[in-house]
Amino acid sequence: MILSLVFFTFSFIFYILTTAAYAGYWVFKKKWLGQMGTALAFVALGSTTMILISRAGESGHAPFSNLWESMVLFIWATNVGYLLMEYRHKFKAIGAVVMGIESLAMLSASLLPFRYKSVEPLNPALQNKWKWMMDILSTWGLEKYAIGWLDFHVFTTFVGYAAFAISFGLSLLFLWKFRSEARGIGSKLVDAIPDSKVLDEMSYRAIAWGFPFLAVGIVSGAIWANYAWGSYWGWDPKETWSLITWFIYAAYLHARVTRGWRGKRAAYLSIIGFLAVIFLYWGVSFILPGLHAYA
Amino acid sequence: MAEKANEAAGGVESRWYRTLGSRIWYFLNSLKLTLFILISLAATSIIGTVIEQNQPVEKYIEAYGEQWTGFIFYAGLHDMYHALWFVALLAMLSVNIVVCTFERFPPKWKSLLEHKNDKFDPRLIEKFSHHETVRVKEGADAVRAKLEDLLKKRKWGVESTVGTGKEFFIYAWRGRMGRLGSDFTHISLLVILLGAIIGSYYGFKDYTAVTEGRTISVPQADFKLRLDKFWIDYYDTGQIKQYNSLLTVIDGGKEVLQKQIWVNEPLFYKGIRFYQSSYGQSWNKLAEAEIALKVKSKDSVGDPVKVKWDTLEKVPGSKYSVKLVGYTGDFAYDETSNTVFSKSAEANNPAINVEVYDGEKLVSTPWLFMKYPGIFPAIPDSDIDIVYIGHKGLWYSGISINKDPGTNVVWVGTAIMGFGFILAFFVYHRRVWIYIKEDGGSTEVKIGGTINKNQLVFERDIRELTDSIATDAQSRGRR
Repeated sequence: MILSLVFFTFSFIFYILTTAAYAGYWVFKKKWLGQMGTALAFVALGSTTMILISRAGESGHAPFSNLWESMVLFIWATNVGYLLMEYRHKFKAIGAVVMGIESLAMLSASLLPFRYKSVEPLNPALQNKWKWMMDILSTWGLEKYAIGWLDFHVFTTFVGYAAFAISFGLSLLFLWKFRSEARGIGSKLVDAIPDSKVLDEMSYRAIAWGFPFLAVGIVSGAIWANYAWGSYWGWDPKETWSLITWFIYAAYLHARVTRGWRGKRAAYLSIIGFLAVIFLYWGVSFILPGLHAYA
Repeated sequence: MAEKANEAAGGVESRWYRTLGSRIWYFLNSLKLTLFILISLAATSIIGTVIEQNQPVEKYIEAYGEQWTGFIFYAGLHDMYHALWFVALLAMLSVNIVVCTFERFPPKWKSLLEHKNDKFDPRLIEKFSHHETVRVKEGADAVRAKLEDLLKKRKWGVESTVGTGKEFFIYAWRGRMGRLGSDFTHISLLVILLGAIIGSYYGFKDYTAVTEGRTISVPQADFKLRLDKFWIDYYDTGQIKQYNSLLTVIDGGKEVLQKQIWVNEPLFYKGIRFYQSSYGQSWNKLAEAEIALKVKSKDSVGDPVKVKWDTLEKVPGSKYSVKLVGYTGDFAYDETSNTVFSKSAEANNPAINVEVYDGEKLVSTPWLFMKYPGIFPAIPDSDIDIVYIGHKGLWYSGISINKDPGTNVVWVGTAIMGFGFILAFFVYHRRVWIYIKEDGGSTEVKIGGTINKNQLVFERDIRELTDSIATDAQSRGRR
């Protein structure tokens, strides 16, 4: 029995319940449903954290080395990002959308063949630890807990992905709200979400986090590649697609300050950007051969 | 003077080249061009991930047919990221960045330096999208002190002036540097591209396979490199843990450095890096071979004997000595040149070449095959034969050699980019104008301002300011 897979099953159930609670709050506007949604989101976060911790214990390294582990990291980061956003802006209706994305991510991770979920030791290409950190930790005999470029690179990239996932959800809501505002037709559901201006702003804030994090992910990957493969950039499909994604979000940031492009077109760019993230993450791993094929 | 003369010559009607010039300038300065380039770069980059890059022509013909292959090579899609049109897009982006920076930076810089305006029209405050008017019972002096204290506590720059009577104007600002974030980011992209250009002109990439014990000359450098040993580490489960090579640098005939490299741990010497990139068993050399004596008439094989490379070894139980002089992993024979070679790097059909001595006298130099023992007799006209049983191979290590003097420039660029991002995304330029006027028994306070991004944060700032003076909810004006 692999403990991390047990926690995974529990987390899956929690995410579905969280989504249901937020959706219930959105439809019925009962305060207790909203509070329940937030509470369940915390429970789901705790459970996801336990997947990562137990997997680290099982594999003996940070749990960022295969597709399933990275999915759990993505789900974890999206949850943290969402809860921070809810704490700052107090809009709970958005929770139904973000937690819906989380549940879908859980579903797709659970459907992965077992070879993507199994506990594996690190292959030679992934073994990298920061020497300075090992030196410091060795004072207490803890050097095996040192992290390296692999961990830093994967973590920062996935924080970026998580932020993009949130902005994707917000952009969808924006387009919906924007249409209803433009036509002057409201409905019970669309009235419960914030103004399109606020949604646009929040979507931008999410990208304002995701964009530099993706950049740090790309750059740390380049530093590591320069160290491990011999050059900082090799036009490997994963690298190229990360750059494509980065270009799209760069276009989004410029669109927001360009007349005729702000609002709707920018929102479309944010949606296209997240579709590119999905391809960068799953499509490249399964379809295009390259050095990143293992995750 | 020259400028004035030019202006005069231009007159009222602009010359055609001036119109054209300003049109080109306007085109290069536009954000729509930026969007066009960014989206084009994103869209075209996809092609290079779908069509495998830098493959031999045959592979493209096999995959796409001859006609498409012709197109692929015409458009440079086989090496897309170095194709002229792709480089042109990058160059266009650079020009766009340079023109935009040139056009926008100076006025921005000026306005950031000369941003203070002591006396402003209080009516303008209500024109801001974020503004609030509050009426409080306290006197104007007290209100002013409260607001200034709060602003200073929150690290705002504050400038206040006294108007006529009980009237104050406060102007406060914070995070002016945030406006420069985009400039730093744009310049960093130019620096990174510069680093890439330096690398492509002055750097090189190479690959070499070295067998254990051999020394190679490093290309484009004045020193040598020796592989002392190659080995593989395994996990307890049998999975491969790491590939290692022990390398020695020989510079000026002296051993100057010895280092163990592995995947993720290169050797760095005189600006050149050496990476562990592949490995294998040598196809033309062995560490040692195992042979045995066979008596043909009895069909009996004796105990195995180990023979080292190029060393004469006595074979016990016979009058012969054997020396191992050749090996080939996948035996093949070229009749025209009368030479033996290996068809592949795999040990598909291993064969050894030995010299057989009777005392001092060379008797024969046969090739012995592991898979086909006895097809050629080792010693002519004798009941004794020699069979080749096994061997200990010799490792070779595949080492990538790389020099890229542009790398450090790229790192400088990324550092600037990081700094630019912090300014651009997390430092907001906020400006607040406050007008305080006491008349009758109460004081009217107008607060309004702007932020360059993150409107949601600014609403909170304004609210905090009004809350600090208007504790009584009843006295709050409209928002």
